[in-house]
This record gives sequence, structure tokens and C-alpha cells, in this order.
Amino acid sequence: MGLVVGSNPLSMDAVAALLVERFGADLEDVRIQEPDTVVARCAGERLKDVAARLKADADAGYETLNWIAGVDRRTSFEAVYHVYSWKTNTYLELHVELPRARPEVDSVTGVWPAADWHEREAWDMVGIVFSGHPDLRRILLKDDFVGHPLRKDYVDLAENHPHV
Amino acid sequence: MYDHFETPEPDEAVKLALRRIEEATARGEGSDVDGLAFNEVVVNMGPQHPSTHGVLRLVVTLDGELVKDVIPVIGYLHRSKEKLAERRTYFQYIPIVDRTEYVASINCEWAYVMTVEKLAGMQVTRRAEFIRVITGELMRIASHLVAVGTFTADLSPLGTAMVFYMFREREIILDLMEELTGARMMFNYFRFGGVRYDLPDGWVERCRDFVKMFPAKLKEYEALVDDNAIFLQRTQGKGVITQQDVVDYGITGPNARASGVALDLRRSRPYSVYPELDFEVVTEQHGDVFDRYRVRMDEMRESLKIIEQCLDMLPDGPVQLGSLRAPYVITPPPGSAYVGQENPRGEYGTYIESDGSRYPYRLKFRDPCFCNLQLFPKLLSGNKIADAVAISGSIDLVLGGIDR
Amino acid sequence: MVDIIVGILRAILFVVIAYAVVFVAALVNILFERRALAFMQDRLGPNRTGWQGVLQSIADAFKMMGKEDFRPMLADPVLFTLAPVTVMIGAVAIQLVLPYTNGLMAIDLNVGVIFLVAITSFTTLSILMGGWASRNKYSLVGALRAAAQMISYEIPMILGLLIVAMIVGSLRVEAVVAFQAGYEWIVFYAPFTFLIFYIASIAELNRGPFDLPESESELVSGYGTEYSGMRFGMFFLNEYAGMTIMSMVAVTLFFGGWMGPFAGAIEFWGVDWIGIVWFLVKTYALVFALVWIRLSLPRLQVDQLMAFAWKVLIPLGLVNILVTAAVILWVPSWKWGLAVVGWVSFLAFVALLDPLLKRRLRKQRERQPVVSA
Repeated sequence: MGLVVGSNPLSMDAVAALLVERFGADLEDVRIQEPDTVVARCAGERLKDVAARLKADADAGYETLNWIAGVDRRTSFEAVYHVYSWKTNTYLELHVELPRARPEVDSVTGVWPAADWHEREAWDMVGIVFSGHPDLRRILLKDDFVGHPLRKDYVDLAENHPHV
Repeated sequence: MYDHFETPEPDEAVKLALRRIEEATARGEGSDVDGLAFNEVVVNMGPQHPSTHGVLRLVVTLDGELVKDVIPVIGYLHRSKEKLAERRTYFQYIPIVDRTEYVASINCEWAYVMTVEKLAGMQVTRRAEFIRVITGELMRIASHLVAVGTFTADLSPLGTAMVFYMFREREIILDLMEELTGARMMFNYFRFGGVRYDLPDGWVERCRDFVKMFPAKLKEYEALVDDNAIFLQRTQGKGVITQQDVVDYGITGPNARASGVALDLRRSRPYSVYPELDFEVVTEQHGDVFDRYRVRMDEMRESLKIIEQCLDMLPDGPVQLGSLRAPYVITPPPGSAYVGQENPRGEYGTYIESDGSRYPYRLKFRDPCFCNLQLFPKLLSGNKIADAVAISGSIDLVLGGIDR
Repeated sequence: MVDIIVGILRAILFVVIAYAVVFVAALVNILFERRALAFMQDRLGPNRTGWQGVLQSIADAFKMMGKEDFRPMLADPVLFTLAPVTVMIGAVAIQLVLPYTNGLMAIDLNVGVIFLVAITSFTTLSILMGGWASRNKYSLVGALRAAAQMISYEIPMILGLLIVAMIVGSLRVEAVVAFQAGYEWIVFYAPFTFLIFYIASIAELNRGPFDLPESESELVSGYGTEYSGMRFGMFFLNEYAGMTIMSMVAVTLFFGGWMGPFAGAIEFWGVDWIGIVWFLVKTYALVFALVWIRLSLPRLQVDQLMAFAWKVLIPLGLVNILVTAAVILWVPSWKWGLAVVGWVSFLAFVALLDPLLKRRLRKQRERQPVVSA
């Protein structure tokens, strides 16, 4: 039969409890967002390790990465990872806070191959550097674009519009 | 001016392709022909091309006729929608969401509107829920007609006939939607808490006529295509998406279901009134091009079933929350929400962070085609170029969603 | 002396008529195909230029002539120009032996039937010239592929023609037409042969499901990539003219040529004018069939194409020859015998080809692995 959705259906409380029990050291502020998402925070240095362990978890393996969003929080940056667990049919939203001066975090392409383009987009739009990414270059904007548009302090530069 | 004999500087993607060829040659996989360092040629299937659906650029490394590597280059349709969200009220943004996956824009609006309703804690009227399902499924049929039509057009002149027949049926759907919403493609129809217009007189009867007429047309298309030995030979066994790919790259929608993964957000993460409706999740087992085509055809049948049930179950009542007008300016409390919805191409969702003001703080789209396109290098390599064109057509890409 | 002058004048008249036929046929076919294709695709075709769009092809021809005429710097200068010029020679020269009607035949060669196939090969040569002269690797590959396809499918054509020659007992085209007097059309005696010949001629023309050389999966283009404007126009016109010419050949050999009801009614200047009408009617019925087939079938890929020629058509053609020869030699009323054998094989082929293919595909499908995690 292969891949099945929800082979280990747990209630949201059970999932949250499982995460606290196994990842309590690294995941802070685990809370449930109805109907099927657990939201948690994680430190940037621990991300790669946590990601690998989340994926490999036997009861709730978070095997699929849905998306990665880069957010500019004015005083810091944040990378949001939204991952899906086939076994429990629930989502986990990981918020990783990064310092404003050097927004750098390990790339998770080794854990979730889908992260490739999502991280490129986060770099392109917000300027978060994913170290260890095989090919971190701009994806949606032109190659020699200057600046990162989704930052709150982004100002449109003339050199981005040479033809105007 | 323009010097005709000047070779343009290769850009990043082409440089990457050339670098990869050099690395492969250095590893010893170069050419076995005397005097040639390597056999490959880097060819650009540029943004304007009859076979790539939309402004997609593929930098293809070819060895003779065999595709060795594909580097997709996107961004030609980038309209900075996520940045625009920061300066538009939630209500003003609805038409902009329409224009991401423009082929089935109702479903895009639905994801956005559901997210905002979740953020703001709004309910939706029951009649509006049913109307949402009917319009969503109608546009799913329309979108699959486009997908299957253009895919068969890639294969040959047979397809160009199929496209016209399928678009003929799509016209009927678009006429229904135009009567209802005033627009043929970018509807701007959903509102927070309901929909904008109620069904006009006779719309339900016309919709029922369509539902009665359509299955015979589907049989007609299948008779043209399914039974055709040449078509079968060109599509079976090609472009297989394994279940490991589905997990690794987040493939959703018909592409995943054709590989035997029964993931349908209408079932696994039900929203709206889908729990009350009776429909099957269509899956196929081989994951090749032919199965993706079959899944789309069968999904059209399931959508017809859903529409018929909704037309029967349609309750009376208001189609919007509160008084006649939907709230124009809403300020959801601070927080964030993500709602994913079953778009004809997969899971389409919006992640919205609100800081309590009238404008969203951050809006992020989860686009199914963006995730599906990542699979291209793996999927197309090792095939002949003609097969590559057919495979890319079967994935059903809409560049509006990929580039936003 | 007078004979020589008359001979020269006749030759000039033939060349003029032959070229006129080729160009007019090409222009008519382009429009015909566009309207017929549109009709089958549930839309109108070009119907604004002139009455019902008849001037569309002429407008297209003028447009093409107005394009910039260039030659890639590295292209072979002589061959690059020669290829489009010579591509139509086959279509024109075939008309030497085709009787448009009773009395309107250029020359009655005593190897007319062989000449028909031999001169068709000339197009292959021009395509190879075009592909080679372009100095473009992909054009060359496309041209080689086109050439391979054309020479592979000439063999079933010849096998079909040999049967016609066997039935008629002569290689002269006039004799073939005369044999078919009184509605004894060869297609009624040998429908299977006609089918083999027709399929082979579709592939010979690079038409319909066999048009890989000219479509070449929209990326690496075929022999015509480097040609533009009227140079390309010549290749293009030749393909459409070929549709008519090949249909004329099929009509002459299998469908009784210019024969039909009231043939011989109006006759002056030694030419039978009703015959021309019937000739054109039958030709265009076959041209319509060509357009219809093009629309209905997906393109065959190169390996499927070659496999079909060598593994299906040629063996069947050879077996057909053996059986026909046996019937003619040993069955007393051989015409009836041929008719029986012909129709049985024709119906069997039509009925069995698809199910056999499908069965093979189904077996392949069963062996295909199911995806699992």
C-alpha cells in the first residue's frame, strides 16, 4: 500500500505531549493551534539537529516540508518552517528566531530535499543566509538585484530598474 | 544598438549548467569521441516557448536527444504579491490573490479568505459554504480541462483538436461563473464570512443542465485519447513520480494521487462542508504520465458528483455575514494562521501574520506548482526531449502561482 | 524539323503546366487543410481574405517572399541555395508519367510505374542537402532522420506497386489506367495493397502521424531550422504539393485514374475534359483523408515509426506479394481469387492491428512496477 495518511492518529494533546517529551529541551513554547497544527519555537543553532530528529521520529515522523517563510520582525528575523507528519496527519510550525545583524541558520536541505527552493526564496526575499545550501542564489528576482524586498526597511533602488 | 554578432554573457543558470558539465567531465564522464571534451549541449527553452506552459525557462543540458539535466529558471512573472500584501487591507487584497493561480482562481481566493476568517474568528453562512463548494468544484473541472487539453496538445495534432473541444465545455462553465460573479477568470467573489452575490434566477437549473451534459463529453474525450495505442505508448511508463518523491518534495494534488498516495485535503484536513459530502479520493498506482491524466479525468467526475449533491442540499439564507455589505476593513487580532486548501494542482495555502492593524504583517503563499517544479530536474533527466515535453505538460504548472 | 519544334514546344508546355499544377496544388492544399482542420476542431479557418478565404495562401506566399533572405555565415553556399530549389523536382517530374485524362499524358514510359517511385526519392536528396548545408548539428540529425524515414517507407510503396504491375501485367502507367476501365478498379481487387501503399505514402510525405522530422519536439528543429522566408517556403510548399501529387499517383494506380461516369462525353483537342474533373475529385477525396488522418492521430516517435515500417509493413508487403503471385499463377479465375484474398487481408489487418497493439501494451503495463514508498 505504501504511503498512508494518518496511520497513527493521535489527538492534538497527545501530539503536543509527545513533542514536549521528546524534544522538550529544544522546542520552547509548544502550543496547539486548532485544528491540527502545533506551533513551537526553536533556536537557530539547534535547528538542523532538531529537524533530523523530527524527521526520524518513529511515532510522528515529520517527513515532509511544506514551506519555509522568512519574516522580518523589525528587531530580528524569523524563519518559519511548516512541516507535515504523515503518520499523525498533523502539522508543526517551527519558528526560528535569528539575530538582525547576521541572520544565518543551517540549511535543512540534507533533511528535507524540498527545502532547496524554499530556502532560496527566503534568501531572495528576506535575506536569511542558509549555510550549507548547495546553490543559494536568487530565484524569483533577477540575478543582480540589489536588496531584499520583503524586509521592512527595503527601499526600491534605482539600480534595480536600469531600463526605466 | 544591438550588435548581432555579440554573444550575450551567460547568466547564472547557464553558468551553473556549464559548471556541472565541467565537473562531470573532470570526474571522467566526458565524451568518448576523439577531440570532444564533452558531448553535452546547453540549450535554452526560453521563457517564450510553445511547449512550456507559461513563462518558464528551462536550461536543458542535452546529450544528443537525451536530457541530462534541467535547470528551471522562474521569476518571469513575479509581481511581488507578498510585498503588496503589506500595503493593502485584507479586503483590497482579494483580487490580487485571484491572480496567483489564475486558472482556478476561486480556489486561491478560498484559501486566503479561510485564513483571514480563521485569524479573525469569523463564521461563514451555510448557504455561502455550499456556494463556495459549487464554484470551487466548477473551477476545478475548468482547470482540469485546461490541464488535460494543453497536455494532449503537447503530444500532437490530435491534442489541438482536444483542446478546442475541452475549451468548448470550459466556456459553459465560465459562462455560469460570469452570470454569477461578473467575471470569467478573476472572480473577486469570496468575501470574509460568505460570498458577494447570491445565485441569480435559473442559475441552479443551468448548473444542473451542465452536470447532466458533461459526463457524455468526458466519455467522448476518453474515447479519443484513452483508446489510442500511440497515445498509450507515449505516456505509459514515462515520468514516474515515486512515493519517496512525494514525501521528499511535498508533492500534493493529482500528481501525488497518481502515485498511489491518497492525500486529499478535502478528506485529510476537511474544511467548509466537505465532511457532509460523499465523494471518492481518486488514486492510481503507477505514477506515470498516463496515470496523472487518468486521475484528472476521474477527478472531474467526482467534482460533478459533489456539485450535484450541493445543488440538492443548497439551503436558503443569507450569503454574507451580518447586513448586506461585507465588512470592508477588518482588523484581525495579532496572531498567525495557515490554512491549506485543495487546489486543482495540490495544496495551496496562505500563511498570514497579523499585528492587529488593517494590513497584514506578512503574507506567504504555499504554492503547489512551486513545490512540484522542484521535481523537474529529477523527473525529466534521462528522457528524450519529446518525452520531457509530455512529462512537463502532465505536471500541470501555472506560472502565476510559482512566481507570485 | 517541325517535329523538333513541336517537341520543344510540348516540353515547354509540360514544364509550365507541371509547375503550375504543383504550385496551385500546394496553395490550394494549404488553405484546404487549414479549413478542414478548423472544421474538425470546431472552429472556422481563414475565411476573410477573398471569398471564403481562397486568397489566404496567396497572401501567405507574398508574405514569405517579403521576408529577409539570408544565409548563415558558415553554411555551405552552393548547397544551401540548391536544396530548396531542387526539393520540388520530384513533385514536378512525377507528372511526366501521370495521365490527367485521356490524351493528356506527357510521356508513356515503358517503366512508368518504377519511375514513379524512383523520382520520389529525389526529395530525400534535397532534404539531406538542406540538413547538411545548414552546418547545424541538430539540423543534420533531423535531416538524417527524415531521410531514414523516407527510404524505409519507400520499400512498402514499391512492394505495393509491384502488385499493381503484377495484376496489370505491364509497367506502363497507361496500361494500368486502361486495365481499370469499366469500374474494375484495382482497389477493389487489392484493397490491402492499397492500404500498405497509402500508409507508406503518408510516411513518405512526412505527413500525419509520421511528421516527426518537421515537428521534432518543438526544441531541436529539423532540416528547415536555418531556412527562412521563401527558402523555407519551398520546403513547405513541396510538402503540400506532395499531398496532391501522391494522391494523384494513388488515384491513377488504384482508383481508375480519370475514369468515371460520362468520361469521354466532352472531347476536343484530343483531350477528354470530363476525365480531368473525375481525376481531381478522386484526388481531393484522398487529400481530405490525409488531412483527417493528420488530425486524428498523435505523432509517432522515431522508434515506433521505424519499427512500424520494418516490422509490420515490409513483412506484410512481402507476404502479400507471395500470396498475390500464387493466386495469379494458380487460381483459374484469379481476379475473383485476388478480390477474396485482398478483402480478407484488408479486413483482418484493420480489425486485428489495434487489438494486437493494445494487448502488447496491456502486457507491458502489467509488468510495469507499481510505485511504493
